Amino acid sequence: MIKLQHWIYLLIGTVTFIYLGYSGYSYYLTPYEERFFHPVHTILKPSGIIGHGLGIIGSLMMLVGVGLYMMRKRLKSFSRLGAIKHWLELHIFLCSVGPVLVLFHTALKFGGIVALSFWSMVAVAISGVIGRFIYVQIPRSIRGNEYSMDELKVLNQSYGEKLKNEFNLNDALIGKLEYFASLKVYKSPNLLSIIPLTIKDHNANKKLLNGFKIELRNEKLTEKSIKQITAICKSKLVLSRKISLLNSVQEMFRYWHIIHLPFAIIMLIIMIIHIGVTVAFGYRWIF
Amino acid sequence: MYAKVSAQISPGDLSTAHSNLEGMSNCTKCHNIGGQVRIYECLACHTEISQLQKENKGFHSSSDVKSKNCIKCHSEHHGRKFRIVNFNPKTFDHSKTSFQLTGKHAQADCFKCHTPDFMLDAKYKKNKGTFLGLKTTCVACHQDSHQGSLGNACQNCHEGDSFRPASKFKHNSAKFDLTGAHQKVDCSKCHAVETRNEKKFQKFKGVEFSLCTSCHQDFHKGKFGDKCSSCHVTESFHTIKNLTSFDHGKTNYPLLGKHINVDCKACHKNGLNTKPKFEKCLNCHSDYHQGEFTKNGTQADCTVCHSIDGFTFTSFTIERHIKSNFVLTGAHLAIPCQSCHKKSEKWNFRIDRKECTDCHKDVHGGSIPQKLLSGNKCESCHTTEQWKSVSFDHNTTKFLLLGNHQKQSCNKCHVRNEIGNRVIISFKRKTECLECHNDVHADQFTKNGTVSCQSCHQFNNWKLETFDHNKTSFPLEGAHSKVSCSRCHKQVIDEKGKYIKYKFGEVRCALCHS
Repeated sequence: MIKLQHWIYLLIGTVTFIYLGYSGYSYYLTPYEERFFHPVHTILKPSGIIGHGLGIIGSLMMLVGVGLYMMRKRLKSFSRLGAIKHWLELHIFLCSVGPVLVLFHTALKFGGIVALSFWSMVAVAISGVIGRFIYVQIPRSIRGNEYSMDELKVLNQSYGEKLKNEFNLNDALIGKLEYFASLKVYKSPNLLSIIPLTIKDHNANKKLLNGFKIELRNEKLTEKSIKQITAICKSKLVLSRKISLLNSVQEMFRYWHIIHLPFAIIMLIIMIIHIGVTVAFGYRWIF
Repeated sequence: MYAKVSAQISPGDLSTAHSNLEGMSNCTKCHNIGGQVRIYECLACHTEISQLQKENKGFHSSSDVKSKNCIKCHSEHHGRKFRIVNFNPKTFDHSKTSFQLTGKHAQADCFKCHTPDFMLDAKYKKNKGTFLGLKTTCVACHQDSHQGSLGNACQNCHEGDSFRPASKFKHNSAKFDLTGAHQKVDCSKCHAVETRNEKKFQKFKGVEFSLCTSCHQDFHKGKFGDKCSSCHVTESFHTIKNLTSFDHGKTNYPLLGKHINVDCKACHKNGLNTKPKFEKCLNCHSDYHQGEFTKNGTQADCTVCHSIDGFTFTSFTIERHIKSNFVLTGAHLAIPCQSCHKKSEKWNFRIDRKECTDCHKDVHGGSIPQKLLSGNKCESCHTTEQWKSVSFDHNTTKFLLLGNHQKQSCNKCHVRNEIGNRVIISFKRKTECLECHNDVHADQFTKNGTVSCQSCHQFNNWKLETFDHNKTSFPLEGAHSKVSCSRCHKQVIDEKGKYIKYKFGEVRCALCHS
């Protein structure tokens, strides 16, 4: 369900980006001084029927995305309203697609004080992506609540037991898995090093899992079982890495909040100023 | 620094033309709080456009432009280099400017006209690159070769392609309608090129045209007045109209008499415009007389005898004829000319013969003895008064006219005899009485074939003036002398006819007395 929702969001966001980019690329690639003379200037300009609309809808998406997520997180009355990770997904979706719309609202013209809002938005969006990356490095329950270290260790052990009990996997192979998982010990990585580290680990896991697949096929297991076993092995390896990085990642996540929120506030303030100025000068879209 | 910070509220740099309006404090100079940029804000600065719109002139006054907000075309905040006036000479519709580009105007470079040199207002001259400030009058850009004499509406006559020729000009719209040969004449023939204000100038207006002689030389030197059109048409001076109203009397040869009704072409054989010689009648008329009146090699003109009232009549009067070689007298004065001068079909005035018989018939047929004829023979007896009036002295003949003979008309004795076609009056008569008289006595007194009437009668009457009865064989004696003749000489009628018997032969008393 999560994956489907995730992919739907991703699809909508991607299609929106591609559609807007493709349909207006001629205009957006036109130099500023020449855009006025472009045939679609009147609709794609920031104050045009589409351009202005994209700005308003994008801004509303961001406001709604932030607002709802903040309420879910901060207000007690919303605390039991759905799993937090769904709200996060919605928050990420709205605050990813919203900036895309705002991006095309700007017509890729970045100047003046409103650019600060834009770049703040970009910063918030990028930090959101980073935050999302950091966020997923912290193992969570199915409702999105963080596991404690003890819970993680139990969970990590449960993978070996599951392989042995459910798939009757031999000890040698389980031992081998445990061995490689135990090797994932990292010394206080920072935000810049954690990404290549993760990528490197991802590639190493992939290579290791391919070796496992060969060995599992020699055991005459079904492909379905091999796939399930490989997935469990992958989960264990990833979890081992996350456990190893947990303290560092949790610390990063705290710092991330410090960065992510101010950018959002800056963006919001300047956006309000921007909206105020435009409304004051008579730009009211369709209203 | 403030400007830079305040500029951050701007959505983009203003164009160079408006760069002086950068800065937050200037926003409301163009932007209306609560509304967008309105035309009023623009026109508050761009008063020249505002003024043109008030005057309904120029591109910005065309219906589809005037109805637009300025920023529809002249947007802003697109950067310094933004072409706020996006003028494309190839696509610009100049017809919206109240001045449609046609002909060569359409091909000309914009700045051939839109140059400060042609801008009258100094404020436009300073505004480099402006398209304002030009008047739509042709003379705003073009030199007026007419030097203002034809006004400013050049387009009424000239096409946009070229000033020459002035193909839109229709001369019939001018006060002088070009007709006939005028249409083929080069303009400069009437509209002379002169120098005015030290420049070449062709005068089109103010050309005097009320009279043909304004341009044309008066061939007639004013003789026919100044209204050439009363006779001439514009097709050609050689074509004459209104012949009926032409007053030939104003020419050197006024038409009088018969000439009035003569067809013009009879004299003006080579065209009505030609000027035939008229000094002599023979300049037009052929010499009917075929040189009869040529004297000493000089041919007399018709006017010597004829007048313009016709050749039938002549001014050669009797008085003049009297002065001629043949003096008219008597009946000659009364006879018609043709009696002598038109013996045949044709008149003949050169008559060399001078004898009467040249004209008159000799009715006497040679019956008059030559010895009685002398000089101009007829005039021996006749005068020109009349033939009957004979002045012949009969006493020069053997037969003296005595008594009543003198009272008798000639033809009593000289009778006319018509012999065939000839009329012969016999003048060769015998002197005997019975040549003319009848013998009423029935040959009673004839002796030897002759009768001597004079024995008893004289010429005054038939009374017996010379008869003496006593000298007869029977002298009257006694009572016989008192008896009337008829008592004895009675009328008898016998084989000789009816007569009074005078002779009795043997005289016997019983002849008378019973």
